[in-house]
Amino acid sequence: MADSAKNYFDPKVLAGISNLALRARWVVEGLMSGVHRSRSKGFSVEFEEHREYSPGDEIRRIDWKALGKFDRYFIKEYEDETNLRAYLLLDASASMNYASDGITKFDYGCTLAASLAYLILKQQDAAGVVTFSDHIESFVPPRAKRDYLTQILSALEKRGPGGETNVGKILEDIAGQVKRRGLIVLVSDLLDEPEAILKGLRQFRFRGNDVIVFHLLDQAELDLPFDGNILFEDLEATNLHVIADPRTIRTTYKQVVQEFIDDMRKQCRDNTIDYQIISTATPLDQALASYLSWRG
Amino acid sequence: MSVFFLYPLFLLGLLAASLPVLIHLLNRRKLKRIRFPAVRFILLSQKRISRSYRLRHWILLALRTLAVVFLALLLANPIFQTGAGLFAGGGPVSLVVLLDNSLSMTWSGDGNGFKQAKDAARMLISALSDDDRAAIVPTNLTGKELFRLKGQKDVLLRELDGIEIADGSVNLEAALSKAYELLNVPAGQKEIRFITDMGLTGWDQFSIAGLKQLDPSIPFKLIHVGRKQAPLNGSIKEIRLGSQGVGANLPLQIDVTVANFGDSELKDVLAQLSIDGQNKEQKLVTVAPKAESSLSFQTRLSQPGAHTGQVTLKKAGLAGNATTNFTLDAQDKIKVLIVDGDPQTSLVQSETFFLSRALSPSGERDSSVFLPTVILPDGLNAAALETFQVAILCNVATLPDSLSPKLQNFLRQGGGVLIFSGDKFQADSYTQKLARDLPGQLGDKKIGPEANGEKIVNYDTKHPALQLLADPILLESLKSARVWGYSRTAAVGRTPLIALANGDPLLLEQKVGAGRILFMTSSADRDWTDLPLKTVYLPLMQSLTQYLAGSNRGALDGGIAVGAAKEIALPPTFVGKNLRITKPDKQTAEVAITAVKDRAGASIEENDRAGIYRLALPAGDKNGDLPQMYAVNPPVLESRLDEISTRELQTKLKPIRAEVIPVDALKDGGKRTDLALPLLALLIVTLLLEGWLGQRF
Repeated sequence: MADSAKNYFDPKVLAGISNLALRARWVVEGLMSGVHRSRSKGFSVEFEEHREYSPGDEIRRIDWKALGKFDRYFIKEYEDETNLRAYLLLDASASMNYASDGITKFDYGCTLAASLAYLILKQQDAAGVVTFSDHIESFVPPRAKRDYLTQILSALEKRGPGGETNVGKILEDIAGQVKRRGLIVLVSDLLDEPEAILKGLRQFRFRGNDVIVFHLLDQAELDLPFDGNILFEDLEATNLHVIADPRTIRTTYKQVVQEFIDDMRKQCRDNTIDYQIISTATPLDQALASYLSWRG
Repeated sequence: MSVFFLYPLFLLGLLAASLPVLIHLLNRRKLKRIRFPAVRFILLSQKRISRSYRLRHWILLALRTLAVVFLALLLANPIFQTGAGLFAGGGPVSLVVLLDNSLSMTWSGDGNGFKQAKDAARMLISALSDDDRAAIVPTNLTGKELFRLKGQKDVLLRELDGIEIADGSVNLEAALSKAYELLNVPAGQKEIRFITDMGLTGWDQFSIAGLKQLDPSIPFKLIHVGRKQAPLNGSIKEIRLGSQGVGANLPLQIDVTVANFGDSELKDVLAQLSIDGQNKEQKLVTVAPKAESSLSFQTRLSQPGAHTGQVTLKKAGLAGNATTNFTLDAQDKIKVLIVDGDPQTSLVQSETFFLSRALSPSGERDSSVFLPTVILPDGLNAAALETFQVAILCNVATLPDSLSPKLQNFLRQGGGVLIFSGDKFQADSYTQKLARDLPGQLGDKKIGPEANGEKIVNYDTKHPALQLLADPILLESLKSARVWGYSRTAAVGRTPLIALANGDPLLLEQKVGAGRILFMTSSADRDWTDLPLKTVYLPLMQSLTQYLAGSNRGALDGGIAVGAAKEIALPPTFVGKNLRITKPDKQTAEVAITAVKDRAGASIEENDRAGIYRLALPAGDKNGDLPQMYAVNPPVLESRLDEISTRELQTKLKPIRAEVIPVDALKDGGKRTDLALPLLALLIVTLLLEGWLGQRF
């Protein structure tokens, strides 16, 4: 890919584009210009339940495997055959409002979510967005309309990050509201209890959703590149602070962060969840490439 | 076992040991604040590493502090010393050995103390290495001696051999000041060793403020010459005259006080009195512990003039000064001419009866200081006045014409005249013949009834002739006397020595040439006063006569203490001449006679030996007032063998830190190790460790 193409995904360049729609379009068009357009699947056909065969039913819809098991004729019933329904869940807690250099995690996440929405809608699938902190900030249900992007972007731009993270509880809440199966895309720094997060994600899996987790972290959160004695104050919990000399704890810190990432990755894999760790210094195409690889 | 420093000033560098801690604290105060989302990971990291981190952190801080401490100590160059300090190893030493040669050392160490002290000093000197330098300073300093540090051991040992026990006390302030003065200049290791019996007497006078120089950083060690058992400890505390004056062929009583300083009774101590080297009398005395006893010797001197005396205590095992010297100045009898102006057939009614009895109370000529000769006024012309020291005119009516020039010459040569008034006394004659020499203007007589006699209320007790009135019994006796007849006399600008209640003088004085006239306005017998019947009459008449004779002779002089100065007063004509002194050891010295106010005087300071010091003017000069000799004795308290406790010693010496070492410990030797190399190794190891640990953070 040419250097000019790389600029499409450079977070610093994107941070200079204030219009989110333009930013999303910039990313997606930049991405698509370098790859072949994938085949649009159009419909998704999903099995719902069995019922006993009755005269008049099509023979091709008989489930022959069930005949083998139960020695009775069953007909496979399918849900309404619709487009893909994607829920883009964006963490808007205060911890997302951190940027060591250039773009904040929240802005990065917004751009990522907007880009995904743009891509999904362009492929005539349904896209919706949910922003949350310790409660749901906005909920835009999925629609497959072309002009629906405006509403999604409006929800993303409605408010900046703030409040504490409670990813696990929010996921459970949202899982309760998602009636039909679809694709769940979680964009978050996952700075919450890992068990609670995974519990929430499992809820989606139990309901038959596909889940992709974009774990967003600032590069400084990965490397702790500071010097001298520093009073670290937590962005969410105001009473949480600690004095540390990063030089003395850096190695251990990196180990701790890596262990956290590895644990999340393993837990996700165990639960058939796609997991992608992304630094805000990472060009956005990598994140989108992850989505596209899921789409096959 | 001790540690001292060659360059203690560098120890101030230890203050820099606080620098790492200060830097650490300052760093803690310079905090940056960062709002950060992943604080929980930082907390977790800290928790995981905190134990080892903190340990390493404190180790690093300790290592840095230690490095500074080691550096400061290294620069101060510590020396570790074991044993009592014979010198083996280490750098060059500047040593001052203070040797206690006070008299008390005679009895310390069970009678062997001074030898032990010298042996200890010899060991210290012998243990010096070639680069070391030392000085030996005895403690009986006058401050004028010259000392210097020297490295020749043979010279030092010769100097040591020459030091003897002094008869005086320790002059600790001078000795210590001298030690610090000697150690003021040289760099490197310095030490002061004081070999002493720790006698309390020397320390009683010691004050740290009296030191001219002081350096508490110089190690100060006392090598204690002790004793195994408490000895019998006593000495003569005082010798004084018990009799009235000292005269040739007169009874002489010498009172002696013996003090027991010890805790054991001094039983049957033989006390011997010797005069001019001849044993005169001896007695046994017993003294209770921590108490005193007095005894009296009776003897007689055959010749007038200067005599030497000694009282010696003898008892096996007695520690303390046994011999005390004194001098006696025995006067010949004072020849007194008494003129009886109103002789009677009855001796008792004679004018001079009471007076002659007062001057010769026992009636035997030999027992009195005075040799009175009574004549009638007719004999005055023939009397050889120059053979008498005092002439007393009692109620003599008139003075013969020929007597007047003789009397005036007698007075100018230093003779004394005492004139009593009386019923025969004619004031006009005296006024005419003696004119200006009379102590007042003579007036008429006042005679009243005995019952209306005047009291005596005014008297000058400070006058040399009336100092006896300090005795309250004599004073009361004088006050009880009544005077009913006297010659009215105007004092004319002078204060009467004694005056009556109405203010009229009773006794007046006039100096004439080298002599004096005393005028008693009343009678010598009891015609006009009852004074002759009073107790005070005898001592008063004796005192007045002695005063007129110009005599303070006839005294016992207990002398001065060793080290004290003897002041000699002389007539002004001797200024510029030299006084020759012969010491007890026959050595002679000369002291210049200088002007002291309107007199001449000499101060003899080199009284460093106990004994008799003889004085002589240069050949050809004579002076009857110059004492021929004086006694010098060891200070009484130098015989007290109590020791100062270590605690009292430390208090007295503060801020000097003194270490007390038994003299026997010297035999164990000692070792001195320079700690510079081990410290350098420690410093290097510390710095390497610090560097390694610092890299790991």
